[in-house]
Amino acid sequence: MRRETRSPATGRKSEELPASAQVVIVGGGIIGCAVAREVTRYTPDVVVLEKESDVACGASKANNAEIHSGIGEDAGTLKQKLNVRGNYMYDDFVRGLDVDFKRQGLLIVVTPRSLPEEALRSMGEDELREMLNVKIPEGIMAYGEKAGIKGLRILAREEVLELEPNVTPEAVAGVFDPNYGLVCPYKLTIALAESAVINGARVLLDTEVTGIRVEEGHVRGVITGRGEISTKLVVNAAGVFADEVADMAGAGGFRIHPRKGATLLFDREVTSEYVHSSVALFKLPGMKKERSKGGGAMPTAEGNLQLGPTAVEVEDKYDTSISAEEIEEIFERFHYLLPEFPREAIISAFSGVRAPTLDEDFVIEASERVRGFVNVAGIQSPGLASAPAIVEMVMGFLHELGVPREPRADFNPLRPATPRFAELSDRERGLLIREDPRWGHIVCRCEYVTEAEVVRAIHSIIPARDLDAVKRRTRVGMGRCQGGFCTHRVAAILARELGVPITSITKSGGASPVFVGESKDMLMRG
Amino acid sequence: MHKVRKPDLAVIGAGPAGLGAALAAYEAGLKDVMIIERDVELGGILPQCIHDGFGSIVFKETLTGPQYAQRFIDRVEKTDIEVKLNTMVLDLKPDRSITAVNAREGILEIRPRSLVLAMGCRERTRHQILIPGYRPAGVICAGAAQRDINIEGLLPGRRVVILGSGDIGLIMARRFTLEGAEVEGVYEIMDHPGGLTRNVVQCLHDFDIPLHLSHTVTFIHGRKRVEAVTVSRVGEDLKPVRGTERVVPCDTLVLSVGLIPENELSKKAGVALDPATAGPVVDERMETSVDGIFACGNVMNVFDLVDYVTHTAEVAGRAAAEYVLVGRKREREAPLRVEPGRNVKFVVPQILRGLDREVSFYFRVRHPERAVRPNLVVGEKALAGRRAKMVRPPEMVRVKAGPEELKSLRERGEVRIEVMPDTGGGGEGGEEEGDGAK
Repeated sequence: MRRETRSPATGRKSEELPASAQVVIVGGGIIGCAVAREVTRYTPDVVVLEKESDVACGASKANNAEIHSGIGEDAGTLKQKLNVRGNYMYDDFVRGLDVDFKRQGLLIVVTPRSLPEEALRSMGEDELREMLNVKIPEGIMAYGEKAGIKGLRILAREEVLELEPNVTPEAVAGVFDPNYGLVCPYKLTIALAESAVINGARVLLDTEVTGIRVEEGHVRGVITGRGEISTKLVVNAAGVFADEVADMAGAGGFRIHPRKGATLLFDREVTSEYVHSSVALFKLPGMKKERSKGGGAMPTAEGNLQLGPTAVEVEDKYDTSISAEEIEEIFERFHYLLPEFPREAIISAFSGVRAPTLDEDFVIEASERVRGFVNVAGIQSPGLASAPAIVEMVMGFLHELGVPREPRADFNPLRPATPRFAELSDRERGLLIREDPRWGHIVCRCEYVTEAEVVRAIHSIIPARDLDAVKRRTRVGMGRCQGGFCTHRVAAILARELGVPITSITKSGGASPVFVGESKDMLMRG
Repeated sequence: MHKVRKPDLAVIGAGPAGLGAALAAYEAGLKDVMIIERDVELGGILPQCIHDGFGSIVFKETLTGPQYAQRFIDRVEKTDIEVKLNTMVLDLKPDRSITAVNAREGILEIRPRSLVLAMGCRERTRHQILIPGYRPAGVICAGAAQRDINIEGLLPGRRVVILGSGDIGLIMARRFTLEGAEVEGVYEIMDHPGGLTRNVVQCLHDFDIPLHLSHTVTFIHGRKRVEAVTVSRVGEDLKPVRGTERVVPCDTLVLSVGLIPENELSKKAGVALDPATAGPVVDERMETSVDGIFACGNVMNVFDLVDYVTHTAEVAGRAAAEYVLVGRKREREAPLRVEPGRNVKFVVPQILRGLDREVSFYFRVRHPERAVRPNLVVGEKALAGRRAKMVRPPEMVRVKAGPEELKSLRERGEVRIEVMPDTGGGGEGGEEEGDGAK
């Protein structure tokens, strides 16, 4: 689809398409932005092309925010290898980006339902106890340790319930994995993109790739809806669309079959202490219906309880809907693990589309057919957790293909985030308000977001130009009222700061106007 | 770094509840009264309620929302009640100390001698009722749509489906129609309308807007902006019936699916809440479980008449003044619990501590019933009540009891409010009250 160069949301002419770049990255998700940032350690000449109105608009914004350890992955896969390494690298990965990252750990709960029903029926009492209390926990330990995961501990029933008092009393044992972490995935993606821009990269939004120019087996350029960029190096980080982008270059051969996952989100006031770690029910391999680690219950980086995700194969790569069946499935599944979870405290539900290939592993390769084309495809969960190791692997290819190996002396590793009023002390708040009174004007009553934060988001390095983009940066509208109070207030600030009429403000770019007109518009039209 | 203000009374919220309470307290003799309001003007939700029907009980005439609010605003302006607009309360502690913020003064610390909670309520959202589908632009709560059209001058949609037949949903069906938008229909999951009968007639029938009872929205279509909704009939279990799905093209889904008393601050202050009302447990003075903290209006439970909100505000304001001026006379005996009896969902006030004044009990019935007597009952004896031709869940019922009727309560055991079939006969109990609808 061809897009206007003049973005309707900003009224400003979008940043010019550069004539050439050393590296062009297709896709502004977590992987594209992380690769871009890493490339800028060596050269500033990198461009990220994103077809949506913001970075992190695909799976990077709609996942469970977990930094897995690799314990849920199949042994011997690239996924498991990069996940284990990525998890290990995470503290360094986020350093300097001003993004919260904490390791809350994973509690794997063993209950009689960890076994198939026929096994329960056929086993004697002692045999069953031995299986659930000893064999399964020891098996999990051995599996994890073999993959290189450190610090695992077996927990007795009492320890499980002490750690997570809301877990089913049917729990018999557990394994605790201290490596699991939480990070806000879209905030991290935005931070990586901004860090890249600080170091010279260009991130072009609303720019869709329509073709890759390949001549004599070499990449020569990237064709977009806004013109062409000449380049010799392309990184395909296009998420669910990675197969289509690879095919444009003739560097494909894999298929992405979209699989969506829905997650339910609960009010932080009610659920902040509900679970402390990620909590998942262990099931013997082969018991799961679908290809997924099975999800779990976990806090978000901000402290809301989340339950999910589901795993449903879909036809449409844009299918971020949630069905009644999925909601029911989540409720049923967690009703067992957390018998008294607070159903009524639900405030939101979201769905993201995973990008698996048919053999379910990551595809990270420098194309043998098209020199200069690097695929980073099939990046589904645990892609967020594996990102640092994926980047490391991709950089190996890029250095081979000509990106300098010598780090720049002037690389700036720091990307400061805007302070969050809600997290400041009254003293700090007072000082900011004295500096700029807009810090004293709360526009989001649930999350206590101020006008100053909204304005800063709009004028940030990767500028927020619609409601959802402001929301991702500030949490405006993410609370229990879900925007009932703040929508028109934020839309008015966007209109004022961008110098456009409020009726051109959108929810998520493109054809998503918040208001269809002014009062009396329809009457005047007659 | 900042001065601590210590008013006699701080009122949080400047809707009809907050204004009424502040005025009542001021008129009862409190000198230093402060109202804290996060919006840019006084009046709460009333300035956007430009339809009429307000005030038939309090003023014996029907006013629009802005007119009703203005009567109180005019009175406040004649006093030296301090009004802080654009001011958000960030924290509230059990000792009543408030941390608030505004752009002009920065962080404010306020330690009032008494406090009235008048934060009102907020709208339930699509996720709280779990409507499946996409998350496009064009899904909006009815009150937010009302504000957009009536205050901001913005039109949220042209082709509208409304889910929920509560009063705001009905009023917005008419309001969208008057704006030239097309209202495809109002869908209601229950088998009876959620709003006042008068609003069904005046907002739907008069404009030929169809009302589909026992229906709900089961899917929202459209990735960027709403393109359609799927509606389905529901069975007696309120679950959608397979095979009854129908796709209704529209660009907007307006939700009128309930209001929730806004009690986040009450919780911070340690105020005990009643699960039946989602609001604070209050006594006959509208005092909560926390000493010197009172509550009134929709923060206690969602009223359908603003007139009743005003009544509770006056009780709370006068009681706050008494608390400051006279000091505590709280009975040390165990408070009496007023239980909801036959066909009663909840009662406010939930407890009685003193029996020295007239008390209005507000309650909702569980199901519609004809020819009844809502009564205050002690043991087996009906103490106060009145006749009603009809009671319905959307219409709150009020029963008043004076000190005479209340004085013998302590000795006689269980106190409850119940709705009994009217077997005729005379006796106590007045006429039905007028319906002064929102």
